[in-house]
Amino acid sequence: VNWLLKLLLKVRPNFEEGGRFRYFWAIYEATETILFSTDERTKSGPHIRDHLDIKRVMILVVVALLPCYVFGMFNVGYQAALANGESRLWWENAFTGFKIILPIIIITFISGAFWEILFAVVRKHEISEGFLVTCALIPLIMPPTIPLWQVSVATTFGIVIGKEIFGGVGMNIFNPALVARAFIFFAYPGDISGDKVWILGPDGYSGATALAVPAATQNEQAIPLLNSVTQFDFSWINMFLGWIPGSVGETSKLMIIIGAIFLIITGIASWRVMVGAVIGLISTSFLTNILALYSTNSMLTIPPHYHLVMGSFAFGITFMATEPVTGAHTDTGRWIYGICIGVLTVIIRAINPAYPEGVMLAILLMNAFASLIDYFVVRSNIRNRMKRYAK
Amino acid sequence: MNITIKKGHDIQIAGVPSGEISKHSNLSSIALLPTEFRGVKPKLLVKEGDRVQIGVPLFFDKTNPEVKWASPGGGVINEIQFGPRRVLEKIGIDIDGQEESKSATKYSESDLDLLRRENVMETILSSHLMHLIRQRPFNKVADPKEKPRDIFISAINSAPLTVDLELVLKGSLKQFQAGITVLSKVTEGNVYLGVRPNSVLQEINNAVSVTIKGPHPSGNVGIQTHHIAPLNPGDVIWTVSAQDVVTLGKLFLTGRYDPSKVVTIGGPGVKNPMHVRTRTGVSMRSLLHEQLIDDPIRIISGDVLTGKEAHQTGYLGFYDSTVSVLPDTITREFINMLKPGNKKTRYSLSSAFMKIGNALFNFNTSQNGSHRAMVPISAWEKVLPMDIYPNALFRAILSNDIEEMEQLGIWECDDEDFALCSFACPSKIDVGSVIRMGLDLMEIDGQ
Repeated sequence: VNWLLKLLLKVRPNFEEGGRFRYFWAIYEATETILFSTDERTKSGPHIRDHLDIKRVMILVVVALLPCYVFGMFNVGYQAALANGESRLWWENAFTGFKIILPIIIITFISGAFWEILFAVVRKHEISEGFLVTCALIPLIMPPTIPLWQVSVATTFGIVIGKEIFGGVGMNIFNPALVARAFIFFAYPGDISGDKVWILGPDGYSGATALAVPAATQNEQAIPLLNSVTQFDFSWINMFLGWIPGSVGETSKLMIIIGAIFLIITGIASWRVMVGAVIGLISTSFLTNILALYSTNSMLTIPPHYHLVMGSFAFGITFMATEPVTGAHTDTGRWIYGICIGVLTVIIRAINPAYPEGVMLAILLMNAFASLIDYFVVRSNIRNRMKRYAK
Repeated sequence: MNITIKKGHDIQIAGVPSGEISKHSNLSSIALLPTEFRGVKPKLLVKEGDRVQIGVPLFFDKTNPEVKWASPGGGVINEIQFGPRRVLEKIGIDIDGQEESKSATKYSESDLDLLRRENVMETILSSHLMHLIRQRPFNKVADPKEKPRDIFISAINSAPLTVDLELVLKGSLKQFQAGITVLSKVTEGNVYLGVRPNSVLQEINNAVSVTIKGPHPSGNVGIQTHHIAPLNPGDVIWTVSAQDVVTLGKLFLTGRYDPSKVVTIGGPGVKNPMHVRTRTGVSMRSLLHEQLIDDPIRIISGDVLTGKEAHQTGYLGFYDSTVSVLPDTITREFINMLKPGNKKTRYSLSSAFMKIGNALFNFNTSQNGSHRAMVPISAWEKVLPMDIYPNALFRAILSNDIEEMEQLGIWECDDEDFALCSFACPSKIDVGSVIRMGLDLMEIDGQ
């Protein structure tokens, strides 16, 4: 591959200041550094550096998402076969899913790359690897029936409003992928919520997600309600494995756990956020189970272990809440941030019948509060130091 | 007192110096580099061509005229070099065959116990060796008028490829003890001595010995201070490097300045990594004679984390006792970011690669990535064993918020303690230099 490097270095002067294509420097720089490791040397500070850089951080997150992609492909096909009442081979299911997911991925990456490059060129900064993660996340949190133009508009909104207007990766307040989803959720609710969007069935085919089942009926116990559904298998184990309707990548908790373990081992994602969120969810759902005795709301009766496998809670806390920039930056803060996400998820799910899926809003809300949490954590450190100073 | 430090990391870099001390024979030229001494305004006392003895003052500090710098060699001044705006950069000395040295009062070991602060300071100042002692905050040459709250000495070098102090001090325990005894006279507080568990130095008198376990930066005196008795605003502490304590001890016992010290030559760019007994300010050319590999290299005076680039024509820094040599050739690997771990070339403490194991790594001068905005994945926090939020402090410094910096504990910080943060940072941010920026700002405006 040396010839490739030589070729790149040969055309490089054209892209540098004063060259013919100087406006496209960002594109050149991205191509060169994605293909070949950088030749930058240490100047000040430590003369040697750790091998981990932001490119690698971001690509590792994408790697962690791959199991969800693979499973999502199978499940989209499987659900489609189920809806059409056909029995298909596994590879036929995979192919159906592939045909659906690939265009979503392509559209996401094209729109994402367009805005990222445009901002990089205009504002003269490097193309940030962060958009790879954002664009890898967006297809996974879309229902399979999502119109492609909406994917494009949402990605645009997520990248531009969610990230670039704040100055790019590292400066954003809200998770860009979630901003993209929230955009569709509020702008085109009919295409991303309800009963009709989760499965590629015949026209008019409807199939509710597990969370919508207890939300729709009053004064019942959640588990018998779920077990009475004949259209899908809403048993705990099946929801854990993920053969249920839902967004493309969020259904299989098993694949998400594989991704989570990978991210925790590599040190990219904070386990404190994930564990905190699980603790928050479990304790709050215990509380709602008690409150359920005094209410007709069936959502309150969902036991903790069902909450864990229903909806996109697992996906959200693994890949969205742990986004380092928009979450809390201190370890203590991460606990609080995680716990609050868990608590809010259950509250939004159970108390607000309009939004059976709460984790997206919970994370976005806590994104807004993350710096406030950090502020108090740092203040308490300062208070301790001030006590010592005063002595 | 026992302290166990959990956060931090020992970098497994190849070229570890062997455990014997050889002698540097062909010592011919040395230099004193006044720019190393932070905040000092040097005024020359010698001129080119002058003959000097060891211990004769070469220059003094205009802001503090009683502080003078003793010559670390006897011979002829062969070069005085000025930089931009006539900043004195270098005083070079050609060493003669027979070096003479200036002598002062000497004391017997029992006399040392009877000394008072005035006597000790008088001897140190008249021998022009005040610069062996540094003060914190700001890590600069100690002000002799200042009465330090405590004195901290670390007998641990935890940074990569540094001198094994146990090995060096074992042979000069008497002088080390003498140095500690005289230092204990100049403070009303304690002399704290950081040692490894089971060290022979635990038996040293007139000091509070503190056993410290844990990875680098546990050997840094700043980290030890933070855990033993942290600095409050207005506090001044003094620190002396362990080998300089021996130098002080020798000064009082023999009346003479002995500028020799043990230095390590290490790193993947060195053929034969070892400990060498040589001279402070020794020239790299003579020290590294027949030691360098043939490829392009970078010579560093100091350890790989905090040292300064010195070049082949350069000299060993006054406070440095390590010379690290790194290969300077960088190969550009194809789709590097997708390649999994590899024992030889990829080293990361984030475990984002395969397990490191016990193998030693051939580091080079590659930055291993480009500079990016801060992405806080706790890389800094994992290697900073202090009760300080580096992220918040970093932001306070960048926004020049002096009050906030003080509240976040900048008095306790020194850039060397944050070097590991810069090493680990995936965004390739140089945290240490920002901390230094903050300290400089505090020094100008914060008092």
